[in-house]
Amino acid sequence: MEPGVLQATDWQFIFANRQTLLLGVVVTVLLTATSLTLGFALGFPAGAIEVYGDSWLASTVNTAGIVLRGTPIVVLIFLFHFGLPIPQLGTVPVIDMKLAVFVAAMLALGLRSAAYQGQVFRGSIQSISEGQLEAARSVGMSKRQAIRHVVFPQAVRRSLPGFQNEFTIVLKDTSVAIGIGLAELLTRAERLYLQPGRDTAVIEVLIVISMIYFVLTFTTNRALDYVHSRYAIPGGNS
Amino acid sequence: MSLLRVDNVDKSYGDEPVLNDVSFAMDRQQVEVIVGPSGSGKSTLLRCINRLTEIDSGEIYLDDEEIHSVDENELRRRVGMVFQDFNLFAHLTARGNITLGLREVLGLSTEEANAKADDYLDRVGLADQAKSYPAELSGGQQQRVGIARALAMDPELILFDEPTSALDPELIGEVLTVMEDLAEEGMTMLCVTHEMGFARSAADTITFLDDGEIIERGPPEQLFENPEHDRTRTFLGELTDLNR
Repeated sequence: MEPGVLQATDWQFIFANRQTLLLGVVVTVLLTATSLTLGFALGFPAGAIEVYGDSWLASTVNTAGIVLRGTPIVVLIFLFHFGLPIPQLGTVPVIDMKLAVFVAAMLALGLRSAAYQGQVFRGSIQSISEGQLEAARSVGMSKRQAIRHVVFPQAVRRSLPGFQNEFTIVLKDTSVAIGIGLAELLTRAERLYLQPGRDTAVIEVLIVISMIYFVLTFTTNRALDYVHSRYAIPGGNS
Repeated sequence: MSLLRVDNVDKSYGDEPVLNDVSFAMDRQQVEVIVGPSGSGKSTLLRCINRLTEIDSGEIYLDDEEIHSVDENELRRRVGMVFQDFNLFAHLTARGNITLGLREVLGLSTEEANAKADDYLDRVGLADQAKSYPAELSGGQQQRVGIARALAMDPELILFDEPTSALDPELIGEVLTVMEDLAEEGMTMLCVTHEMGFARSAADTITFLDDGEIIERGPPEQLFENPEHDRTRTFLGELTDLNR
């Protein structure tokens, strides 16, 4: 058979190896979910600290954010993978994933996401009118109560579109974990077409995983659109 | 005994003096209107009374207690405030705007808070808007919710900071009506306003503030008909013309 692109045999080859790709999807989704969760858990307080924290803490958080946002994600992943003394935690069976490698990728993606999510949340907090905080204080609420019951509920709503962007970015950037050999979707795809005599399938494999990434981002974004409209403030614009 | 006594209060923002040796006192169930040109320190004076702004020197007594010796949250529960820009909580319904303080500050249960909120919405003529969000209400309705929110905390005194200045002319009346009703019911009110009709009909005392100083203070008839100072006459004359 003539080597070329888009051959029927290549599609058959991909179909035969669908389970490999599916396991890659599982790792990709796991990495996305844990990184975003870490990013939220750290980014949410980081944004609040930048607005309300004492100046020393706020500037420390701010500096950490600048460093994280200013470092390429591949460099971050390498740094965490080669630089951190992450113990060898063994390999997860079935999905064939080295836990230590996963942790390094999750830390890199999660911390960088925290740096961006923190900015999203900080901006949202600052967009809530000062007057509402004063009104809450003027009925006798403490600053903490006012922030918790008046500022945060509105700031979280306004952060959703920014978080949606973050989700899309993190999901796609899980693919850079190929650099440290994590068995996520792109790594497994590459292993397929690097098999002897399978270099004809490069484009087909890449098209298939592009479609998988697209379906994942599209459906989740639609779900988040729904959450956004479900919790939108009636008559308001956020 | 005065409910509120302001003694020799000074306040400046940086090098800019805003209040200069301001002293006055008001009794319970009195309505006091503060007038003065913009930048004269009216809003600052109100904000010093519930400590949204801190004074530089002087004393302020509520019920013979110096307000800086009282917990600021406790003070603000006792001194309500109505804002020029309403400042309703945008994510809460009209009812939710009122119940938040009732639950968080007074510790009422949800049922008690809802019942009380609905009572006060009824008092300001908004019983049918309990479930509306601020963005769904007109400016006049929003301000009436703002008044209900302050009232529901059972304050001893309510501060009104230009409550009608951000309203379209046709919406001012409904807010003034609510304020006049309150005055009639004996609520103690300290109002910064340019509404001379309200000042004439509802105020017991009018204070003319200019450049951070009280120029003149007295019953409406005196300030409108026989002011001691030319500045008072000029200012009130201009305002009254504007209101026509």
